[in-house]
Amino acid sequence: MFKNYLKIAWRNIAKHKIFSLINIIGLTIGLSASFVIGLIIYYDATFDDFHPDKDRIYRVVSNFTSPTGTFYNSGVTLALKDAIKDNPNYEALGSLFMKQPMNVTNPETNVTIDLPKHVIFAEQEYFNIFQYNFIAGNSSNPIESPNTVVLSEDRAKQYFPNVEFTQIIGKTLVYDDNINAEVTGIVENLPGRTDLVFQEFISWPTLLQTSRKQDLLDKKWNSTTSQSQLFVKLSPTASLENIQQELDKLAKDHEDANSKKYGQETHFDLQALSDLHFDENYGLFDWSAARTSKSLLYNLALVALFLLLLGCINFINLNTAQATQRAKEIGIRKTLGSSRKQLIWQFIGETFLLVLISALLSFVLTKWLLEVFSDFVPNGLEFELITSPVVIIGILLLLAVVTFLSGFYPAMVLSRFNAVSVLKNNLTLGDKRAKLRKTLTVFQFAIAQVFIIGTLIVGKQINYLLSEDMGFKTESVVTVYQPITSRDFSKLELFGNEIKTVPEVEESSLIYNPPASNNSNITDFTRKVDSIERYKEVFCLYGDTNYIDVFDINLLAGTDRKNDTIREIVINETAMKEFGFENPQAAIGEFLDDYDGDPVPIVGVMADFHLSSLHMEIPPTVLIGDWYRPEWHQFQAVSMTLRSDKERGLSTGVSNIEAVYNKIYPDTDMRLEFMDETIESFYNREKKISKLLKWATGLSILISCLGLLGLVIFTTNRRVKEIGVRKVLGASVFQINMLLCKEFLILVGIAFVVAAPIAYYGTYEWLQDFSYKIGISWWIFLVSGMAMIAIALLAMSVRTLHAASANPVNSLRSE
Amino acid sequence: MEVLLKLSEASKTVNSGSNQLAILDGIDLEVKEGEFISLMGPSGSGKSTLLNCIGMLDAFTNGGYTFLGEAVHLMKEKTRSKLYKEYIGFVFQAYHLIDELTVKENIETPLLYKNIKTSERKALVADMLDRFNIVGKKDLFPQQLSGGQQQLVGIARALISKPKLILADEPTGNLNSKQSEEIMELFSELNKEGVTIIQATHSEKNASYGSRIINLLDGKILSN
Repeated sequence: MFKNYLKIAWRNIAKHKIFSLINIIGLTIGLSASFVIGLIIYYDATFDDFHPDKDRIYRVVSNFTSPTGTFYNSGVTLALKDAIKDNPNYEALGSLFMKQPMNVTNPETNVTIDLPKHVIFAEQEYFNIFQYNFIAGNSSNPIESPNTVVLSEDRAKQYFPNVEFTQIIGKTLVYDDNINAEVTGIVENLPGRTDLVFQEFISWPTLLQTSRKQDLLDKKWNSTTSQSQLFVKLSPTASLENIQQELDKLAKDHEDANSKKYGQETHFDLQALSDLHFDENYGLFDWSAARTSKSLLYNLALVALFLLLLGCINFINLNTAQATQRAKEIGIRKTLGSSRKQLIWQFIGETFLLVLISALLSFVLTKWLLEVFSDFVPNGLEFELITSPVVIIGILLLLAVVTFLSGFYPAMVLSRFNAVSVLKNNLTLGDKRAKLRKTLTVFQFAIAQVFIIGTLIVGKQINYLLSEDMGFKTESVVTVYQPITSRDFSKLELFGNEIKTVPEVEESSLIYNPPASNNSNITDFTRKVDSIERYKEVFCLYGDTNYIDVFDINLLAGTDRKNDTIREIVINETAMKEFGFENPQAAIGEFLDDYDGDPVPIVGVMADFHLSSLHMEIPPTVLIGDWYRPEWHQFQAVSMTLRSDKERGLSTGVSNIEAVYNKIYPDTDMRLEFMDETIESFYNREKKISKLLKWATGLSILISCLGLLGLVIFTTNRRVKEIGVRKVLGASVFQINMLLCKEFLILVGIAFVVAAPIAYYGTYEWLQDFSYKIGISWWIFLVSGMAMIAIALLAMSVRTLHAASANPVNSLRSE
Repeated sequence: MEVLLKLSEASKTVNSGSNQLAILDGIDLEVKEGEFISLMGPSGSGKSTLLNCIGMLDAFTNGGYTFLGEAVHLMKEKTRSKLYKEYIGFVFQAYHLIDELTVKENIETPLLYKNIKTSERKALVADMLDRFNIVGKKDLFPQQLSGGQQQLVGIARALISKPKLILADEPTGNLNSKQSEEIMELFSELNKEGVTIIQATHSEKNASYGSRIINLLDGKILSN
């Protein structure tokens, strides 16, 4: 029986090649998208899901609320642990301190590695929270005492090449040239995807030998750094509610006077281990890893769902439209003894065969798509993930659902045919089915239309973001950073001077940060006038007296600071307004109190410019020099403008700069950033969305138009005789073409009416994320609507023009 | 001879607009096993409807219908379907072979719906092909056959499940006279082997093959 069904299914697929192709293309696109996106979701959702007792493991994080907003810090004050360590609600508490050493040396081989990644200082209890498998060494308390370290397998191999693991135990590593650590254990890599990327665990007491000694001794309640983190494992009976209340009370008890005064509050929150991977408020330990956000995954899933639905709709439409062609077979089968149930299963089986063919094609495509969409695909995701049992079960379920979605309704329609009327050839074609087809077609085109409008508006906004004047010079401006290991200011100064000899360099400035960057440096200033106190958080830019020239910043009043180290500031227009100065002139010569309460004179007011992406309003900003010299050097980079030389371009300039750099900093790679590229990088997320939308638009148009073409082929074939008669009566090709396309164009028109408000709402919401944005103009809708109609007409004309220009004699003679 | 089926006061009405239209009107008929009955009458007299109703593809709206002593009009769909799968075969004027299946597969299909095992199915189909001399055509599709050959396949298909009753609706209507004769010869041969046959026909000649002729007009039996 099954074989018989399979045979007839295959013959039907082969007989109606165009319809089958349309179905397969639609389903393949939908399934491929689902496979790729499903893999991404599965990949991201299964981080750190293998730890024993994972439901009881949390990270304590700090949230600070103030009148200006909420700030999230993945770290927690060092003081907290002592306050909760005897609490029975916690089974284990493990503090971590992220402090990347400058270098690590194996004294036996004298090999030094700079900036080893993923090195942490950890408490012994960390290993009680997370189960690591010890390959060698002491697994019970390897990092209890100072000057001990546990290494990962990979690190052990890297530092001690060709030494057996058991031989490595007891050997010494030297961090930052003066901290010795004895290797007391080697652990296997964790057995699954994890965000706990640590490779070297230096014992906690060793932290007392570093520059953070004082922090560790003081344990101040008002000092929080994301470097200091705390993982906890709750006892099985602990109640989250109680713990949260205790934490809230601790935070309240240790609030300092200043925070109270400015309405700032600290909250300690428990972040579940399962949230670690997704919560965008707190960074990952491997900050270089591309971050997947839940909202992006949600959008991706939505796109996959829509594409899949579009494919299913094609299937339903084409199969119900073709139903009459299968009617005879159904009638015969019924007279031969087939029950309706058997027929339903037969048609569902046929659907499954098509779905299966599409699925096989999708497998092949998935491999390729993972490469094309590498910016969406997490780095560690390999195609082989598709063979994991959960994914395979998921795919089988998906195929079953798709089969059911596309096959069930046509199967019901087909199997309902009455044998007697079918075989007597007096089958009445239901009006209801045509209505359903029309509704589904409208749905398809509405989706395509929403995508078109979305793409155009997002594209326009991105265009605006990239072309909007930032308010300072962004072209031909580069910033070169000193090596991260360098602390020698004289070298940076030397580099700043030497760079002036490069002919392409026009002007240069020693800086900490360029006007716009991915980092923000915030401090607070206060202005006291009579009894009114204005307290503001202010963005800081640090640069020497060339800063204003290099970045072409407009001074509205006053002057720049007299020299690089003098305690004077230049404020921007927003800061001027927020601190309550009437006009730029009024601010000159006035004072703001810094963090320590010491007054600093305002010498100039500069025009506003953007400090970050246009998501953000321009904040109050001050330009500061290098005040703390010689104890502390703020400057870390040199910004310069390059002469725009059309003939030689920028590349010779850059290579000349590199030559100077290598003279001063041999053996290090130069970090050079173009200002305009930095600004572009602010919008990576928007570009991703734009790319996603473009693909979704293209594919949804493709699927919908193929479906439309299928329906047109079907109706045109039925109307061949009518077309012949009309032509004989004198209708033109154009008139006949319009006649055939008209009913479908009406559907596309209805789809536009449905789509326009949805698209308006969606893009309006999206644009609210930007402080600076384009208006949603009506012409975009008009253009999108016209484009959709034109594309649909084009797709249909593939068939209708052919039908309309056929010689009527042929169609009429075939009687 | 045992009674195969019995109709008493069987009627069929359909709604045509607001009017009720009687297609079959108070049919009383008894068919014994081994009979060969020819239904005659002009177009629209109700021959096909009567055949369809007897074949349980359609149902009478009134009256009684017993088949092998069981009351069909009281049966559930499932039992009825089981009954006709077991005992009834159809032959159509337009052959009604499944275009996508080969000769062999067409003949095999009724067996599939009776859940017969593969080996037995193969044997039965081979016998049938042999008997009708169409072994050489078993892998051809219906369109590749002449009308007579297609009808032969249609009959082979009707016979494969060893029915007690064959219902033939103008089985030679699309065939030329030579082909018609062959088909009718085949029917009388089958009848001699014990298969009950009811055929609807316009042709006096074909009707003469039968053991009994029933004339229908406007849904009523004129003569029996």
